[in-house]
Amino acid sequence: MMRDIHDEMRELIALGDSLSGAQQEQLRAHLQDCADCRSYAETAVKALQALRSVNIAAGTRLVHATQTRVRFHAARLREARERMWLVGLACLAVGLSATLTAPLLWRLFAWIGESMGLSALVWQTGFAVFFIAPALVVSLLLIARGAHLSDQTRNWK
Amino acid sequence: MNAAAHFFTMGMESEASVIARGLRRRDPDLLDRLIEQYQHRLLRYLIHLAGSRELAEDLFQETWIRVLERGHQYDGKHEFSTWLYAIARNLTIDYLRKKGTVSLDGPMDDDEHAPLEPADKAPAAWEVVAQHEQAERISAALITIPAEYRETVVLRFQEGMALEEIASVTGARLGTVKSRLYRGLNMLMSRLKGAQA
Repeated sequence: MMRDIHDEMRELIALGDSLSGAQQEQLRAHLQDCADCRSYAETAVKALQALRSVNIAAGTRLVHATQTRVRFHAARLREARERMWLVGLACLAVGLSATLTAPLLWRLFAWIGESMGLSALVWQTGFAVFFIAPALVVSLLLIARGAHLSDQTRNWK
Repeated sequence: MNAAAHFFTMGMESEASVIARGLRRRDPDLLDRLIEQYQHRLLRYLIHLAGSRELAEDLFQETWIRVLERGHQYDGKHEFSTWLYAIARNLTIDYLRKKGTVSLDGPMDDDEHAPLEPADKAPAAWEVVAQHEQAERISAALITIPAEYRETVVLRFQEGMALEEIASVTGARLGTVKSRLYRGLNMLMSRLKGAQA
């Protein structure tokens, strides 16, 4: 379907100052000949002037409240990040210490097992529980803490 | 690097990349400055998008909180305002979807939205009345236009955004933006004409 030349020119009017030189020239030539489109252009200019004349301003109260809220939230995020750093460092320290002490603990559990006449399965299970228990407890605590923090974030206003 | 070279490099650094660096650091002074710099433009956009000043003010605050949280995602290669408007837009869409009452894809209900309030800085009484009437007339006309058209018209003619920037903010293709602009302007003109008659 052929597009109406008037529709085409009105679309150009709606694009405002985004027209290329050739489009501007084409529009200017058309407006000289077409009274309807000229009237359309004048109405469009008036409508846009009216739109631009609406002066909406943010109040200082809103700006200050926003700045305060953003600063407060930034401080909370910074604290959370610092906490995560500490948790990360603690995990690293625990990992290193566990790696270094595992052989010694293994020997200790083996000696206790032999002294008490326990089977290998029993003292080895004891070793595994003893070795894993602190990590399990810390993980549970962190999960609980994480859930607590996410609740706070959701309700924070 | 000597001082002159350092100064030259800093001078060459674009505003957008300075903002991107500051946002990655969550620099509160930078955020204060940005909030002041974009206060009127952002609020104006949100009012036209959300349809009420009260809601727009809530979304204004939420937008800056989101900017703080997601500042590391801004790459500094595009205009900051484009990124900011996209965040504000997404927040508004999320809010309206959660409420389930209005959609950005359809017209808003006149009764639910108070007319926009003009800025309070008129020097003379008759100007106040005239400005207020004008603002009410425009806002009443705008609010009846489907949101996607209203948004495009406001971004283009009030915020002075380029068509490509509008496409980036709204996630629409350039052709769609042009068509929305044309249709939106036609609707605005006919509503204003109707209001005058």
